[in-house]
Amino acid sequence: MIRPGLGTVLFLAVKGFRQHAFSSMVASFTIALAAGLFLSTYKIKEEANRAFANASGGFDAVLGARGSKLQLILNALFHLEASPGNLSWDHYETIKKTAGVREAFPIAVGDNYLGYRLVGTLPELFTDHQWRPGENYEVEKGGRIFTDSAKEALVGSMVAQKLNLKVGDRFHPYHGLTYKEESKHKDIYVVVGLLKPTGTPADRVIWIPIKGIQMMEGHDQSMAQSVSAVLLSLKGAAGFSLDLKYNKQGDRATLAWPVASTLGSFFNKLNWFEEILSLVASLVAFIGAMIIWSTLRTVLNERIREFAILRCLGASRRELTLVVLSQSLLMSLIGALGSLLCYFLIHKVSASLIREQTGVLMGGIVFDQTILATFAALTLIGLLSGFLPAFQAYRVSLSENLKPKT
Amino acid sequence: MLEVNQLIKSYQSIGNQSTPVVRVESFSIHSGETLAMHGESGSGKTTFLNLLSGILSPDQGSISLNGTELCGLSENQRDIQRARTIGYVFQSFHLLQSCTALENVLLAMSFAGKVEREWAEEMLSRVGLKDRLHYKPGELSMGQQQRVALARSLANRPVLLLADEPTGNLDSRNAQEVLEIMRNLCLENQTSLLLVSHDEKIVSSFDRQVDWAELNQAKPLSGLEEV
Repeated sequence: MIRPGLGTVLFLAVKGFRQHAFSSMVASFTIALAAGLFLSTYKIKEEANRAFANASGGFDAVLGARGSKLQLILNALFHLEASPGNLSWDHYETIKKTAGVREAFPIAVGDNYLGYRLVGTLPELFTDHQWRPGENYEVEKGGRIFTDSAKEALVGSMVAQKLNLKVGDRFHPYHGLTYKEESKHKDIYVVVGLLKPTGTPADRVIWIPIKGIQMMEGHDQSMAQSVSAVLLSLKGAAGFSLDLKYNKQGDRATLAWPVASTLGSFFNKLNWFEEILSLVASLVAFIGAMIIWSTLRTVLNERIREFAILRCLGASRRELTLVVLSQSLLMSLIGALGSLLCYFLIHKVSASLIREQTGVLMGGIVFDQTILATFAALTLIGLLSGFLPAFQAYRVSLSENLKPKT
Repeated sequence: MLEVNQLIKSYQSIGNQSTPVVRVESFSIHSGETLAMHGESGSGKTTFLNLLSGILSPDQGSISLNGTELCGLSENQRDIQRARTIGYVFQSFHLLQSCTALENVLLAMSFAGKVEREWAEEMLSRVGLKDRLHYKPGELSMGQQQRVALARSLANRPVLLLADEPTGNLDSRNAQEVLEIMRNLCLENQTSLLLVSHDEKIVSSFDRQVDWAELNQAKPLSGLEEV
């Protein structure tokens, strides 16, 4: 590694790093933690926002009972939270025939199997609807879609995997959205098909005919003529007129439209959290820079005699300055790599949690400008932290520091 | 090979007074010549060696080494010149403690712009450290450390080797061995040797002996630190 010029500079920088391995690694670790936190906060929110917006199952809007749009979307499209209430079947029939509505699928919820939600709908959702442009739902080999009037179930891929359900298995649904052993219904459903994975919330529910939920043993009679929500695909500017009709002029139903911006407003509500984490990350980065500076100062105090010897051997002031700056850069680059590792880990854990809890599949890690900018910022922090110690190295007095130690 | 003329170096003492430490009218060393210099402590010998090596620059005068005038060079040029043409051995060895014997030699070569690993190993073998190439200074005896320093100072085939009390920290047996190796290697490479020592026995073993008190016409104030 010892080569004239840069090779020697790097050799001496690495020596310095290894001589003070512990404090150097603490500095790098601090930088890694700070930048890792920053990247995770910023990018995971951004990616989650994008993933949720893409996981709406191909629907533009949801019509539901009067209430919060966000709750409606979370309940109807993401199968989270409780239903805000029911709509009459007539509402479904009406909106289905409204001009500008391309598709309308009613859903009904209220039961579960071992904690996984049962969602009642029409079989056409799986034959006609595209959950992503150009992509229909597909059933695993050996299975089929349930029929409208039978006690049959089509199981989402995650549920099938978690509960080890296979075609032909039978189960009793439980009342409510959370599993309680004592709330078992008498009805027995047969698994007739398993859905292929889609990376959307459809993977973590059990689909049954809507009549199944409406007519389930023990349910209130009124449920037979009601739906929890209607999932809509719209044409042209139909969203505006429907928004006017239901949200501004009407008072019996709510139209959650457009889905992406409603979800966006939800993520915007998390901004305060992002700001606090960014502040914490900035503070940690500042501390990291201070640790680099302090480490280099200690290193320099201990190496000053060594530097004088190097000068005596012919090393120029410039080379010694570069040694200190390289050591500083080395610490920040290790920190930068560590920050990527930290971000990868947090991303992996978050993606797994989000998938587990919502069924939404997060995108993979993409090297983009944010990551490059973080790298550049860390390099700059490294250089700035090393600047003063490097200047001290530049000023090393040869004759003063070569005096014999007494 | 080395020509020194009208060389003056002063230091600022208390009260901003300029106190001459070195004042040498004329001094020269021929190519391949070996000589010993003796003189009192604190009388400016080390300052003189630092001037010859370009570590310090004089207030006046000229130092010509192999036809190159050192006093006219910038600090950076003097650094390069020192790395390529001058070897320096110190009483306290001045080895890099974090580097092995071999790395110490290679580093000196790298500043001269040419790293030859085989030659560095050869030099260490010549000073009797063939089996200690990868030992750090802390793992070597005093005598072995000075041999590393010697190998390092001669690795770039310098035209002049400056040795400032090179045996001051060694016992008489090691001192004798190091001195012998030093003289033999200088002879082999046609390197001139200027050795400073207090040891009369060592000084008297050289054909040419220089009394620093006679050569230096400056009379430093008592108590002024030698640099």
